[in-house]
Amino acid sequence: MKMLTIVALISALSTNAFAHSSVDTTKPENGATIAEVPSEISFNFTDDIRLTKVNLIHQEAHTVTLDLGDQTNFGRAFALPLKSMGEGTYRIEWRGLGADGHAMTGEFTFTVD
Amino acid sequence: MPDIWGIGAILSKLMLYVGIGGSTGLLIIRAAFADLVSPLSDRMSVQVALLAALALAGSVLGFMLRGAALTGGPDGLTDPEMLGLLWQTPVGDVLVSRVTGVVLIIVGVFIPFGGQWIALAGGLLALWSFAQIGHVPELELKGVRLLLLLHLLGVAFWIGILGPLRTLSQRPEYLSNAAMLGHRFGQAASVIVPALIVAGLLMAWMLLGDLWALTTTGYGQTLLIKLALVGAVLTFAAANKLRFVPAMQAGDEKAARHLARSIEIETAIILVVLAATATLTSVLSLPN
Repeated sequence: MKMLTIVALISALSTNAFAHSSVDTTKPENGATIAEVPSEISFNFTDDIRLTKVNLIHQEAHTVTLDLGDQTNFGRAFALPLKSMGEGTYRIEWRGLGADGHAMTGEFTFTVD
Repeated sequence: MPDIWGIGAILSKLMLYVGIGGSTGLLIIRAAFADLVSPLSDRMSVQVALLAALALAGSVLGFMLRGAALTGGPDGLTDPEMLGLLWQTPVGDVLVSRVTGVVLIIVGVFIPFGGQWIALAGGLLALWSFAQIGHVPELELKGVRLLLLLHLLGVAFWIGILGPLRTLSQRPEYLSNAAMLGHRFGQAASVIVPALIVAGLLMAWMLLGDLWALTTTGYGQTLLIKLALVGAVLTFAAANKLRFVPAMQAGDEKAARHLARSIEIETAIILVVLAATATLTSVLSLPN
């Protein structure tokens, strides 16, 4: 228990340095406000990655796991079809594996208004 | 704060550090000071096997947790697709090195003749696994992997002395063994410990790039904590070498009890150093 506490304390020092995120651009852009729900979302990474899971969280209430389809190879550009859930905030959480074996994670948000 | 998978990754890395560092360290101490630790030989064999088993568990757990990190849920722990993906990356190569290394340790330690060299080879392979992937190897600088391996060997040597020296110090009938072990370890450590610290500082400098990162990033702050703790351990080590061991050589049994207590505190601090290192290597990104 003491060791758990120590590990937690040391880990708590860092608030924003976790994982090895290398997402370059997304579409829609992070923080964008758009008029209509896009038919797809896209990611561009700086290095090769294999996406393993992408979740869509609508209005911080409903979570849907997006189908990766045939995009299960290492690459830098990915586009996934998006199901419309109406107006509101869309948060996209993604996870993936770098070619070097690092687990990668990140998220971006856009609003449909 | 890291998520639950991040904390799990830190704990599994800590299991690896304690398991591989401890077992290899005991093997090095037993090979280097065989005449002095012979009364503890059987006990040390069991300890080596248990620590290697801990490393084996940490290796498998760490691999499975990487699978969970890919899905963000417990399903990833045993997801064949995720684990299969990992297997094809350098993470799979590292798992093979670690498992092979710790199995060699466990098998070797119970083989009566020549087994200790098999076990030592296993320990070396398991230590080398840390130089296969991670922040330091990714620097791709010439000789940096060897530098890391030498650093790890020095750490293992230091960790390895703690248990046998404490146990011998607690037994009045082995006071002379404990005194001589402390003395001879101190002689070796006066070369090895500065070397491992210089190697560690050199790697830290390569990773950080500048001193500002020490205070302005989570990685740097954790590294500072680690350095402060290493400083504390060095203080205890210096007291052991300069005060308690000479007194024990003069036949002072009370000094032996003080040494045993000092080693216990030293061990606790080293565990926190290893936890800080596990955090640095598991969940924190480099400043650059």
